[in-house]
Order: sequence, then structure tokens, then C-alpha cells
Amino acid sequence: MFDSAETGAKLALDGVSSGYGTIAIIRDLSLSIRKGEIFALMGKNGMGKTTLLKTILGLVSARAGHILLDGRSIVSASPKDLIKSGMGYAPQEQPLFTDLSIRDNLRLAVPSDRTLEAALEHVFGHFPFLRDRLGQKAGTLSGGEQKMLILSRALMLKPDLILIDEISEGLQPTVIAQIAKALKAEQSERGTTILLVEQNLNFALEVADRWAVLKLGEIDDRGVTDASSRERILEHLKI
Amino acid sequence: MLIPANSAPSSELKARPGPFVPAVISIRNREPTAMTLLLDIVTTAAILFIVSAGLLAIFGVLEIVNFAHGAWLTVGAYCAVVTGGLGLNPWLALPLAFVTGAVLGGVTERLIVRPLYARPLDAILATWGLGIVIGQLITLWFGRDVQFTENLLSGTIHVFGANYSLYRIFALAAAAVIGLGFAFLMEGTRLGLSARAIIMNEPLARALGLDTSKIRLVTFMIGTGLTALAGVLLTPLTSVDPTMGVAWLIGSFMLVMVAGSSFGALAIACLVFGGAQVLVSTFISPILGGITVAVLSALVLRISSKGFARV
Repeated sequence: MFDSAETGAKLALDGVSSGYGTIAIIRDLSLSIRKGEIFALMGKNGMGKTTLLKTILGLVSARAGHILLDGRSIVSASPKDLIKSGMGYAPQEQPLFTDLSIRDNLRLAVPSDRTLEAALEHVFGHFPFLRDRLGQKAGTLSGGEQKMLILSRALMLKPDLILIDEISEGLQPTVIAQIAKALKAEQSERGTTILLVEQNLNFALEVADRWAVLKLGEIDDRGVTDASSRERILEHLKI
Repeated sequence: MLIPANSAPSSELKARPGPFVPAVISIRNREPTAMTLLLDIVTTAAILFIVSAGLLAIFGVLEIVNFAHGAWLTVGAYCAVVTGGLGLNPWLALPLAFVTGAVLGGVTERLIVRPLYARPLDAILATWGLGIVIGQLITLWFGRDVQFTENLLSGTIHVFGANYSLYRIFALAAAAVIGLGFAFLMEGTRLGLSARAIIMNEPLARALGLDTSKIRLVTFMIGTGLTALAGVLLTPLTSVDPTMGVAWLIGSFMLVMVAGSSFGALAIACLVFGGAQVLVSTFISPILGGITVAVLSALVLRISSKGFARV
């Protein structure tokens, strides 16, 4: 069921290894994400979740294995090429240009100003508060508003696949609900595929169709979201 | 060797390079009035700004100190020599220098600087060496002799009761155009927005799909083009020889270190230090005036490592 050659896979990883310098973080990892599904990747800190997203996006080089997007190898593709081909990314680390305005942060996500207004209208549909605050510096937004801006920026080009890194970290339940609503809307209205790296179990199980737990760079468990998922995942996340 | 058709020196005294920053104040036979002193201060600041702008453009975005900066100034000045030698309109030297500087800068970025972005100290050595090579190539082609160029503008203009060098007033306007042009480029264009994003957070810029290599290349080309342009603008003020840029390098370097990555801070640094240079040169000694910028920059950086960058 998680074979990398699975029919209809939007993203498939087969035996992927990567890391930094001499340190291996991701080890022989295989994973397949279907078109139009939300897939939650969970795990404790330091297990390689962020590194995996960076490897998919080409920010960290894969040392071994294959990464296929719509059946095409993207192992040697640059982030620029992948963003252009329909991938969106909402990072966790230093995710905003805090000294730039909200408008400029969003503007950087589109290749040309000609498409800016249409893209802005798309994200205003999810997060209307941005419309009246475009001139405000991103660094002056509250934590929750910043997270919504990060997600908005990833949605600007209406990507087919979005990689989202711990978007719910430190957020109030009301903000998490807004983000969950936006993600479900993208999935249902546009058939967007979402790879969600999360530590917030409630949020992940609310939105995800399937899940996997990462442990020391390898998939430790995986499954379809159902009544037994919570217990299984908690078992893996115990300290 | 190319000798310009009109090789007469300009109406202003061609200043000899000092130990750090050539003293580019006007030399008069009578005591300066308050107005001429004020004009000397602002026009000297303008000239320092013109000379340092290209270095700041590269340092601000790429965080690389281009120690070939003096060589690019010299390349620009020799574009004026070539233009004069071919009997062309001397103003054509400005676009010629910008294009020449930008093209050579592009080749330099691609072959020499790009592999060294993560090794800034090595980049300093590499660009320093490149500066020596360019200087030697110019010597090989044009010889060591001092060259003279046709004046871009000559004569004086009446400014608030003072007769003042028209060219220096033009230099003031040129500095304003360069400063405003660069401000527009950075604040009003996508290239500028992308460059600012790279300055703030390059990994994030890459993750958003920005072509950081292309933006670095274009920025380097603009910086070297701007520096070569400055070389042309210097020709009415200083003699042209293969080592002319060296005298300007240290002063430009000090001003950029004080200014950080801000053109506004660079303008203020040029005004404060250029003003001090004029006052010291006028009332104490032109020799001491030549080291004023370097000494004051060192003092400011000693007090605050960020210099005027917070301005």
C-alpha cells in the first residue's frame, strides 16, 4: 500500500537517504503520498521531519534513493524548478522576512507582479484579515497571524503539492481551526496534496487522511487515520 | 597607446592621490568663503558617494568585499581615455564604462567570486589579486604614463553668490541620480525586493524558489558597472593612470564598512567624513585631509561596530 510505485502517487520516495556533512539524518526512507490526500508525518524532535521536507524540496541533497513527483524524478531539481512546477512550502525555521511588508512577503511567492492580484485574492479567501494589512511589516503580526501568512504565501501559486512544517506549533485552538479549515478547503476544492509535518496530534488527525511516524530518519509506523490511530501514534511519541 | 585628441588638463587642479583618499577639494588662490566651503563639503561627499556606491551595492547584497573595486574604477577611467582617443563625444564614456564594467563584472562573478561566497576571506584575496591583474593588463595595453581626458563639463556656475566649478555641481547631481536610482531599484523593483530578501534570509529566499545565483550575478554586474561609471566621473578630478583606483579603494572600503548595507548610511558617512576631509584639508593640511576618512572611519567602527548602519 505504501509502495513507491503506487498508482496515482503524487509524491513517491524510494530508499531516500540524506543528511548534513557526515551525519545521516534520513535513512533508506520509502513513502508514497497519493494525489489529493493530506498526509501527516509525525515524530519527536530531532527525528528528521524537517530534513525530509528539505530533501524533497532540494534544499538538502539526497545521498541515495529516488524522489518522484507525478512519476518524474526530482532528485536533482532545484527549489526554483520545483516551486515553478507546482510545489508550495511553508517552513518552520525563520519562515518570514520580518522587515518586509505582508504584501512583499506574498509578492516574493509569485514570479511576476502580473499574477500578484489574482494570487492575493486566492489567499484572502482563506485569511481575509490580510487584505487590510498588506502594508504592515510581517514581524509585527501576532504569532498566529504570522503562521497564517506563512501558509498564505505557500498557497499563492495554487500549488498541487504543499509541504508544511509544524504550522500549528504554539498556536491557539481558534487559529489552528482556521488553518485546518483552509487546508481542508484546498484539498476539497482544488484536489491539493498536502504533506504535513506535525507534532500536534489532534490537529494532524483532524485533517490527515493517512499518517506516518518518523523515528531516527526511518518510518517507524504508518496507517490510515481511524479510531485506533491516536493510541498507535501516542505509543511512538512517548518519551 | 591611446592619447585623447584633447589631452589638456581640466580647469581644476588634478589632485594627486593621497595615502588613503585623494583630497578632491577645489584648490583656490584665495581664502574660501563660507559658501564655497559648504559647496566643497557637499560636492566632496557626492564624489565619495559616487566612488563608493558600487562597492556598497556588492557588499550590501552579496556580503563580499570586492577588493578589485579600485581596478573597476580604473577600467572606467580608461573607457574615457579610449572614448577620447577615438575622437568620440566624451559623454559616451559613461555608457561604455557601465557596460564594460558590468560585462567584465559578470565574467568575474561567474568564474572567480561565485565559488567563494561561503569563503569571504578567500574572496577578498581573490578580488585583490584580480585587481592587480587588471592593473597590469591596463599597464600592458596603455603604458604607465598619466593619461588626460577631455572634460565632461568645464567652466563655473554662479551659486548663491559664489562662482563654483560646474563639474562639481554636476557631480552632486550625478550622486543624487545614482542614489535615487539605486533606491528605486531596491525599493521599487522585483530585483530589488529579491535582493533585499537575500540580504535578510537567503535560505528562505531559495526555499521560495528565488533564483539566488541570478540575482547575485545581476547585483555584481550592477555594482561593477556603477564603479566603472564612477571611474569616468572621476577623470576631470584626478589623473588617469593604471594605479589610480588603488588610492580610492581604502577610502571606499572604510566608508562602506561604516555604512553597512545602507545607501542612506553611506550618504551620511560621505557627508560627515567628506566634510571633515574638506575642513582638515582647507584649514590644516591637504596631506592630513587625505587620511581623514580612514582615521574617522576607524574611530567610528571602534566606538560602534555597526558604524552608521542603524541610520
